Amino acid sequence: MTRGGLPKRQRLIGLWLILSGISLLGGAIFAAWLDAQLAPTGMTRLALWLGSFSGGATIFLVGLLLERMLFTPLRHLQVQLARLVANPDARDEHPPEGWLKALGPDLRRVRESWRVDRSRLATAHADGARSAARIRQELETLLQVLETPLLLCDQHRRLMLFNQAAEDFFIGNTGLGLGKRLEALLPVSSLQHALSQLPNDGSPRELLTPCDNRWLKVILRRVPGSDGETLLTFSDATASWSNEMGVRAELANMLTPLRQHTASLTSAADALIQLRHQNDTDTSTLRQRFERVIHEEGTTLGDNVAKIGQLLDDLQHQGERLTPMWSNDFWQALDERLDPEHRLITPVGMPAWFKGDAPALIALFDSLVKQLSAHLPDSGFEGEICLGNKRVYLDLIWRGKALPEHELAEWQHQPLATLPLTPKVADVLRQHASDIWSLADNDGLHARLRMPLPAIERVGAPREPAPPRPEFHDFGIADLPPPDEALANRSLRSLDVVAFDTETTGLELRRGDTVISLGACRVVNARLLASDVFDQKVDPKRPIPPASTVIHGLTDADVAGAPPLDIVLTHFREYIGEAVLLAHNAAFDLLAISHKGVAFDIPVIDTLLISRALDEALDGHDLDSLAQRYDLAFPPGTRHTALGDARVTAELWLALLPRLEARGIDTLEQLLTLQANAFDRQDASAS
Amino acid sequence: MAKVLVVDDEPNIVLSLEFLMEQAGFEVVTAEDGEQALEQVSAASPDLLLLDISLPGMSGFDVLERLRSQDATAQLPIIMLTAHGRDVEREKGMALGADDYITKPFSTQSLVEKVKALLAEDQP
Repeated sequence: MTRGGLPKRQRLIGLWLILSGISLLGGAIFAAWLDAQLAPTGMTRLALWLGSFSGGATIFLVGLLLERMLFTPLRHLQVQLARLVANPDARDEHPPEGWLKALGPDLRRVRESWRVDRSRLATAHADGARSAARIRQELETLLQVLETPLLLCDQHRRLMLFNQAAEDFFIGNTGLGLGKRLEALLPVSSLQHALSQLPNDGSPRELLTPCDNRWLKVILRRVPGSDGETLLTFSDATASWSNEMGVRAELANMLTPLRQHTASLTSAADALIQLRHQNDTDTSTLRQRFERVIHEEGTTLGDNVAKIGQLLDDLQHQGERLTPMWSNDFWQALDERLDPEHRLITPVGMPAWFKGDAPALIALFDSLVKQLSAHLPDSGFEGEICLGNKRVYLDLIWRGKALPEHELAEWQHQPLATLPLTPKVADVLRQHASDIWSLADNDGLHARLRMPLPAIERVGAPREPAPPRPEFHDFGIADLPPPDEALANRSLRSLDVVAFDTETTGLELRRGDTVISLGACRVVNARLLASDVFDQKVDPKRPIPPASTVIHGLTDADVAGAPPLDIVLTHFREYIGEAVLLAHNAAFDLLAISHKGVAFDIPVIDTLLISRALDEALDGHDLDSLAQRYDLAFPPGTRHTALGDARVTAELWLALLPRLEARGIDTLEQLLTLQANAFDRQDASAS
Repeated sequence: MAKVLVVDDEPNIVLSLEFLMEQAGFEVVTAEDGEQALEQVSAASPDLLLLDISLPGMSGFDVLERLRSQDATAQLPIIMLTAHGRDVEREKGMALGADDYITKPFSTQSLVEKVKALLAEDQP
């Protein structure tokens, strides 16, 4: 095998020494021969001998020079290059020497660039990942704080993303969940048409669609450059429509009779004026008739104006800028706005909902507290909500005397400089169709300032905000096969799976034992969704035996007031949507939920059967043993609850997945076959 | 003496209009709905119509359209009276062939002037 590059040093030296030796020896023989032949003397003889040795000496000296100035530096360079390639961070070697000395700066440059590029490459990946994660986190935060409800669905109308506002908007609707179809959430007929006609350039289309007793305005747009994904945003059009159809329409209609009666009135007055000039007795009856007309029309006009006043009042109550507020939120927001000296509003009494323009109210109360504090000791205020008829009263309470009306009247002229167009206090009061007054409390110690505001029919505190980063998007959903493709050929990883478990009054389901708790969770794209759960107690309509309470910890009191099984099953069926079911020892749980009226005719995966099929030789296929075998983590206290066990089952499924795939079991069909065989064997061995 | 037909279902305004038109020197006949108006047009052959738009049953627009479709009344001066002040109604009235359009409430003086002007135009 021949290789390029430098020959070995020993060979070069050997060659050189041989060449030099031969030349010197040849020179010596030649010199001796010439000496014998010519028999020179003196200088001639010396010249002859030196001349004969000159060739060998030259070869020796040139070799020596080449070795020192070229071959040794070349060898060193080779070593340095090799070291540089193998380990760029190795300590620096000597710079090139001999005739290669001039290469020194170039080599240094190459080495330094190589080192810098290499470290840049190493950090670039980490930086890229970090920045991608940061961008993702910022986008997620942005989406979650966005007040517009929005959904993103893929070309098969499966939900890939939704934000917190959408969750609030569709609260109570079980159709909202990753991987679920849009039609589970919204009536699809009108939507389907709009979706099929959506232009690809991202321009929006609007439509109105009914949903849960509301009219929703939906704005749809196809995401440009995507795989047919669609972004939907929602607003509740019911309010503005009822406004348009209600008070506004009535107001517009009021104008017609108003014109009518005014016309009658002015015409009658004109006629009466003309009659005055013909002051004879013939006209007295006519005059009386005109006077009656004027009286009638005047009264009707008065009534109409009163009605319009009422309508305008209603309109203000329904005003779009007045939004529902939870009083505790309001007091807190107000307290945060007040300057630290006058802070400390303590909400007392029962909190309630009311309607108002929050920024305007806060500016108003801010000004009010400043006004009050000029009179009163700095002892803080209490905020209380009192309920009235159709109204709530926002009361600010302090220790001291009531404010005199003339001061309040004066204060109402104050401009609120922090609000747009600098309205006066009175303007904000008018906007809320409200007024303000002060009264002393019965205890003789306290006084309060009262502002009535429109109440709204809403019960209970606002929903607790969701945990900071729940799972709300999964763009892998778009890569799932289209929903109409045969489920059987679905890859296991792409399956939507709902893992479920039941707790029952006992094990004898055929003898009247029944479900008391049903829990389920969802696996989408081989990922267990943390927050997408179904967790429902069931009223068994019979006492729970203490023996079974020992296992699941549920007592009669725990299930009191829970819905009956058929209602829960209907909801559970909705929750499943198009997913397949998963359970451990599914036969039992399926029997527990086999109930007249609700059909669960969907494929069922059983982790017990799969485990048996995979590890025939092993014992212990119960959930506890398997959780230990696969080192599945679950929070303490969650086992033997329906939801807790459903989660462990889902984790178990995810642990079994790679083992199934390693054996070439990739589709649902193959899995169901495997499962069926395990079932047969078990039956055979049992019999 | 020119004859004016006042069509309105509000007796209060009919009373005033009748009196004012008489004072202005016109003979006045009245009708309180669309059918009556059409009958009066053929029976009394008025020279001008004051026609309210919102009438019980047949609307003022309807009456206007019918009168304009008959040769005998195609040129009859008609002033529409209405308590609806919307532009679109004015446009509709004019499009259907009204000679003028007056929104309630109105000045009786200018109404009388309009009637006189229209009648003068009609009989040069």
